[in-house]
Amino acid sequence: MSGTRLWISLLVAAAACILTLMLGRFGNYLMHAVVIASISALALNLLTGFCGQISFAQAALLGVGAYTAGNLGNAGWGILSIPLAGMASAAAGALIGLPALRLRGLYFAMATLAAQFIFDYAFKILDPLTHGVSGLVIKPLTLLGYVVQSDRAYAVIAIICLFVTWLTMVFIGETTLGRAFLVVRANEIVAKGMGIDVARTKLWAFAISGFFAGVAGALLAFTTRLASPEAFGLSLSIDYVAMIIVGGLGSLPGSLLGAAFVTLLPELIQRVGEALNIADILSAAREMAFGLLIIVFLIFEPRGLSALLHRLTSRDHANIAPKTPRPTSERRRSELGLKFEKVE
Amino acid sequence: MYTLQLATAGLAIGSVYALIAIGVVLIYKCSGVVNFAQGAFVMLGAYFTYAITRLGLTPVIAVVFSTVLMAIAGAATERLVLRPMLKAPVVAIMMVTLGVLIFLRAVALAVWGPDQIAFPKLFPDGAIEIFGIFITYNYLTAGSLSICLALAFLAFYRFTAIGLMQRCTADNSRAALAIGIHTSNQISLAWSMSAALAGLGGTLLATLNGLSLGLSDIGLIAFPVIVLGGLTSLPGAVVAGLLLGVLQAFTDGLVTPMLEGFLRAYTTIYSVGALQQVLPYALLILVLLVRPQGIFGWRGSERL
Repeated sequence: MSGTRLWISLLVAAAACILTLMLGRFGNYLMHAVVIASISALALNLLTGFCGQISFAQAALLGVGAYTAGNLGNAGWGILSIPLAGMASAAAGALIGLPALRLRGLYFAMATLAAQFIFDYAFKILDPLTHGVSGLVIKPLTLLGYVVQSDRAYAVIAIICLFVTWLTMVFIGETTLGRAFLVVRANEIVAKGMGIDVARTKLWAFAISGFFAGVAGALLAFTTRLASPEAFGLSLSIDYVAMIIVGGLGSLPGSLLGAAFVTLLPELIQRVGEALNIADILSAAREMAFGLLIIVFLIFEPRGLSALLHRLTSRDHANIAPKTPRPTSERRRSELGLKFEKVE
Repeated sequence: MYTLQLATAGLAIGSVYALIAIGVVLIYKCSGVVNFAQGAFVMLGAYFTYAITRLGLTPVIAVVFSTVLMAIAGAATERLVLRPMLKAPVVAIMMVTLGVLIFLRAVALAVWGPDQIAFPKLFPDGAIEIFGIFITYNYLTAGSLSICLALAFLAFYRFTAIGLMQRCTADNSRAALAIGIHTSNQISLAWSMSAALAGLGGTLLATLNGLSLGLSDIGLIAFPVIVLGGLTSLPGAVVAGLLLGVLQAFTDGLVTPMLEGFLRAYTTIYSVGALQQVLPYALLILVLLVRPQGIFGWRGSERL
């Protein structure tokens, strides 16, 4: 990682910390919602955008993190419970990833969907650990003997975690392992030919991605003070997949943009709806906008927000339209940067 | 006797699952798209039937109208959403169908609200006794109707000219194009048939379980069914649907009480919750790992 980029990320993180200290209660709530979503979106992006494994079980991993952190935090482990929650989710991630060693593309996506339902179910029935449907009540985080109460403090902790996640993702992108992810995504047979241990590479992707999902889950647990099964259902998993697609698969800044967009859009619609006095169909309007957004994005800008921004801000107008358009099939495939074998 | 009672109830539900799953397989065979929006079609079909009976039409006409509307909705989804993404990778197409699911659910939420609605009675109340088993008319008609529809559809697919064109498109779309089959029309047709079947399934499910947004989640059961049935096999989907229906009924009626008794005696867990709902997904993973071609697929459909 180059020095300049490190400094820029540090500056942005510092700016976000200062911003959050100046914001009010609602601003802080939005800030840590976006930051936590960003951590989890970055984690999923590592798995799907870099390594090409689509997963609908991200919410399950967040849930594992939240319950682990909640139980450990209640038992007095303090700040240590956050990395430990990450570890637990990393293990769960590797478990979910095991079928990926045999399955590909569509089949694997279905297996993760099933895994999501099974974890969901486990959260409901493992009463001693999760307190079932009513949910686990979580004490506030204790940090070096102090009980953290203020929203601002939580937002700052979340920003620090996001900063660490970001640095790790950038770092991984520059290691041999990161390159191996890309080769596995492009073509598993080629990866084998290059001497890459495909199974091990995939499991690493799942474990690392799971770790950060667990950290996000832990942060979510400490800020909401409650971990309940319906908070970690399939719809949250779909939200995360939407984030990385809307942001742009395989793009780190894209994941942040996507997380911010998908988190803030409902809030925005809420405001507009309250202004227009349509409170009774508000939740429907929110969902409708979300569904439409996914559809429109995938049809018109499959590379996501990051590509859109790049195109709008780029001074080189030549790249707005490619001079020699390639066949649609080729273009679409390379734009998403993903090539799953077309299932016949 | 209790076992038989459970089995018949399971078969009735399972035949509706089969109807829904056939639609998913149909689309998948024809265009390689896995349609997560099938659940939304299931839900929408039931709501359409409800809305039309509210207009004062008789239930039979309402079902016919709602089926036609669903066929249009299916074709419209294909034209507007899937057609522009014809060559996009699997992941993008999966996601776009999820977008359709979210959108249609939201539409239903806006129009009909989040609460459970009393569904109009399509079949008479009461039950009959066959060999000592009591079956309500609801279950009997819903079950036999959907199994007949499923078999009729299989016959249609196998023996008619349109069915032949469908099979050609599914088998090799380029070759189908070469012999003069308008493949994109066939794909639209597959979508409208699939949505119509799903809508019918939804109407039948609503007569059994009542009408709510939750019907769209039941639609997801199509995925364990088609994986079990081999993903590209229509008869497989029918058999797997029936099998899962019975398995769920047994889990609910026999396994859960036994398991709960055991757990209460030896652990602090006092309930296993809705085990029958998660069972199909556990089975899905197991089948994918042990026999990915499903129970009716052939080796060629295995992709490892």
